[in-house]
Amino acid sequence: MSATSASRWSIALAPLLAVACSDPPASAPVVPDAGVAQPPPTVTYSPPAPVLRRLTQSQYVNAIHDLLGDDLLVTRPIEPDVELGGSISVGAAGTSISPRGVEQYEALAYDLAEQLLRNEARRARVVSCAPAATADATCAETFVRATGRRLWRRPLADAEVTALVTLAGNAATTLGDFHRGLEYALSAMLQSPNFLFRAELAEPAAGAEPARFGPYSLAARLSFFLWNAPPDDALLAAAADGRLATDDGVRAEVERLAASPRLARGLRAFVTEWLGLQHLDAVSKDPTVFASFSSDVPAAAREETLSLAEHLALTRDADFRDLLTTRETFVNRRLASIYNVRAPSQTRPDGFGLVTMPDDSPRRGLLGHVSILALAAHPTSTSPTLRGKFIREALLCNEIPMPPVNVNTALPEPAAGLRTMRERLSQHQANPSCRGCHVLLDPIGLALEHFNGMGAWRPTDQGAAIDASGAIDGAGYRDALGLGQTLHDTPAFPRCVTTRLYRFAYGRHETEGEEGEVGRLAQDFAYGGYRLRRLMSQIATSAAFRRADGRSE
Amino acid sequence: MKARIHRRTLLKGLLGGAAISIGLPPLECFVNANGTAYAGGGTSFPKRFGVFFWGNGVLPARWDPTSEGADYALTPQLMPLAALKSDLTVISASRVLTTNSSPHLSGPAGLFTGDALVGGTVTRPSIDQLLAQEIGGETRFRSLEIGVQRSDQSYSFAGPNQVNPPETSPRAFFNRLFGEGFRMPGETTAVDPRVRLRRSVLDAVGAQAGDLRNRLGASDRVRLDQHLEGIRGLERQIARLEENPPSLAACRRPDAPPEAFPDVDGRPPMSAISHAMADLMAMALACDQTRVFFNMYSQSVNNTLFPGAPAGHHQLTHDEPGEQPMVDAIVRLIMGDLAYFLSALKAVHEGDGNLLAHSIVLCTTDCSLGKSHSIDDYPMLIAGGGGGALATGRHIAARGDNSSKVMLSLLRAMGVRAPEFGVGAGRTTDGLAGLSP
Repeated sequence: MSATSASRWSIALAPLLAVACSDPPASAPVVPDAGVAQPPPTVTYSPPAPVLRRLTQSQYVNAIHDLLGDDLLVTRPIEPDVELGGSISVGAAGTSISPRGVEQYEALAYDLAEQLLRNEARRARVVSCAPAATADATCAETFVRATGRRLWRRPLADAEVTALVTLAGNAATTLGDFHRGLEYALSAMLQSPNFLFRAELAEPAAGAEPARFGPYSLAARLSFFLWNAPPDDALLAAAADGRLATDDGVRAEVERLAASPRLARGLRAFVTEWLGLQHLDAVSKDPTVFASFSSDVPAAAREETLSLAEHLALTRDADFRDLLTTRETFVNRRLASIYNVRAPSQTRPDGFGLVTMPDDSPRRGLLGHVSILALAAHPTSTSPTLRGKFIREALLCNEIPMPPVNVNTALPEPAAGLRTMRERLSQHQANPSCRGCHVLLDPIGLALEHFNGMGAWRPTDQGAAIDASGAIDGAGYRDALGLGQTLHDTPAFPRCVTTRLYRFAYGRHETEGEEGEVGRLAQDFAYGGYRLRRLMSQIATSAAFRRADGRSE
Repeated sequence: MKARIHRRTLLKGLLGGAAISIGLPPLECFVNANGTAYAGGGTSFPKRFGVFFWGNGVLPARWDPTSEGADYALTPQLMPLAALKSDLTVISASRVLTTNSSPHLSGPAGLFTGDALVGGTVTRPSIDQLLAQEIGGETRFRSLEIGVQRSDQSYSFAGPNQVNPPETSPRAFFNRLFGEGFRMPGETTAVDPRVRLRRSVLDAVGAQAGDLRNRLGASDRVRLDQHLEGIRGLERQIARLEENPPSLAACRRPDAPPEAFPDVDGRPPMSAISHAMADLMAMALACDQTRVFFNMYSQSVNNTLFPGAPAGHHQLTHDEPGEQPMVDAIVRLIMGDLAYFLSALKAVHEGDGNLLAHSIVLCTTDCSLGKSHSIDDYPMLIAGGGGGALATGRHIAARGDNSSKVMLSLLRAMGVRAPEFGVGAGRTTDGLAGLSP
């Protein structure tokens, strides 16, 4: 139930196409221009108070791999991510850790400490000194200070170091081995809220200036946003020597982070929660209806969508709206057979390769991906309602109210005169208590009726021809390709991408006092030619992202 | 269970505290001559509380009994529970009076917490967690949350947004319960020095959080405190490894269940998973590893493909026309799995009674008729009498009474001196008439 936001009921469905689409000027700068170099935002900005964020599952794994070594295996289960308002990032800022989660983090901490410290080659990465005695406090302190600074993303206070060194010493004495002792100090660091939570703390403000995040808090904000991972040593160094206190210093670090291959992880984490791709893990289809939906399809489908987003946003630095219209996509052999295209001749090691759909293909862009077509469907059939809801909520950021209680929701069975899904769904349009919302959902979803419940092409529905035409907020289309083009052209789509990226970066839904900032970012997104890499940099370098003032709840 | 026999103390007395290894038999002999309680103090067998929850409601026309009292006739959807009729109380026609704003979610939130959803989440702990606060401190696990459908969602809430995710892998649940750290009654106390070191680590982790805590806002402090409470709970759990295990005669270490329960014909083997979980939970309770559980059989709005069903469960509740025979078959299948679960508890002998008789299991769902999401006529079964604290073997027609009255009766039957339950429209100061003997 936590995934649902019952209180956020207001439906804001301004006409999507009322605002003319403004093309970006041809001279829009190609290199991401840090926001601080531009005139300061003229909008008033009044954010809520900073929040404590729990590491998500993927952030935990990335932290272990980046800080302790990517050959460590995180094979034990950890606390599941929680979504609030459809966002893992917002969920991570609203939840705590359950008692079972505490047990899981403990078991995993010892497991990782053993993997790291009982293997000499790996141990050498983190232990630079040779112990002079079983309980060598000096050597233990060297380890604790260096490793603790990475894991806790800040230098440790002396009292913290003393406590951890004492733990290591007691354990070493008890077990008769220096390095076994370090395992207990490392386990303590990995179980600490200083590791498992990201505390974003303000520095005292000077005079009338708004409070800002301290340098280490800002470093973590930047790296978790752009890399979905903790700061590396260079970023911690920039925090330590004061560079993150200056506009130029922030810009330089953001440029460095954005140039790293790790940026792809941040992008993928964003796209995953934006489109709900994590739910593919739980998708099941009836094999008697969808025989080709084998158990490897959901993961492949997710990889296709993530690869395409990465290709457009990072590799090509292209107009991100092309996600809805491009003929390019990434497939492996499994997806190629579902899409009825030739498997790519050149593939990555994971078997995926770039393909270009033929001109006459009915499949272009995201709305033709198995990932979202299978997610927004039932186990045995399509669901125009769920597909319409996906488009409204994920692509246009409309809020759709809960269905009413105490209404008869049964659909008629297929029968003479009621063969196709469109005909059966006409029930929704006839009943006044359903119509209000379903008129917003079903007609859009019906545009995708040529794709069955797992996303494969079908020419007919129950033997009857499919009518995929429709209109969205006054703009008509003939079929799925037309719907994709219409969504591509509406300003609501890039505005929605901006909003969702803002929530991902900030770990909260934007409040009224932040709408001006979101609007400014959306304008810049358009001005820069809808390049997502630039939008990420704009958020990271913005003055707002550094502000730590705000009303506490 | 304050009268637990501490055999370590006893052995220390006998052998001067030397570390010894000796196998002791299960202590049936410590039960008093009447077979109703532990010897040496006269306290009763521990009372347990649990919830069995399934998603998507029932078909009231095939669920609600039409006759009241002890001689009521079982209805088609209750028929799978026929062998347990004397252990059950059926409560029909109680109403969740808090706002029904969110289909499938408002019902359980109102039922388990007595308050409406706010901001999409509960405002207060669910009844199982209220009881865990009261009676969870004496056992290794304060409470245990399991599920059958693979999901991280549950209605077991420690507070707003603080869900207790269910364990849905029988093997993982077995490892947590009976893997490292579990000892049979009679096995010697752990002397592994690493146990003490683990405690000192947790102690240090908790002690170091103070600086962070002082710099957080009020709501974040609540979240950090919950993590720290979990750390202290794990410390207590580890401390129990250094004590003697509880000495309940029926405790057995069960066989490990299979690593995986693969889909059959593209459908999850819900019954097989449920049975494995039931057997494990029965032994978790028999071995007094916990006294509070929440079994999330399936989620609200779950679209599980059940065997033979032509569509997912939730889709069928809305789209199947007529009297919904396929939905009916699914509800009866779930009741069959519930019967297995309750029978597994009943099969554990405790003194001259059984584990189910010493327990209270609230069995319920998220609405009455799934098709309309109604939370009037809320379906509830109360299994087990809580050691004689509740009447069983009857049907109570609650005639629109506040469902919170049931919750308050259950809390009181568990020994909690609760003056009230729920807030606003959900609040009550009275239990449900007829539920006490």
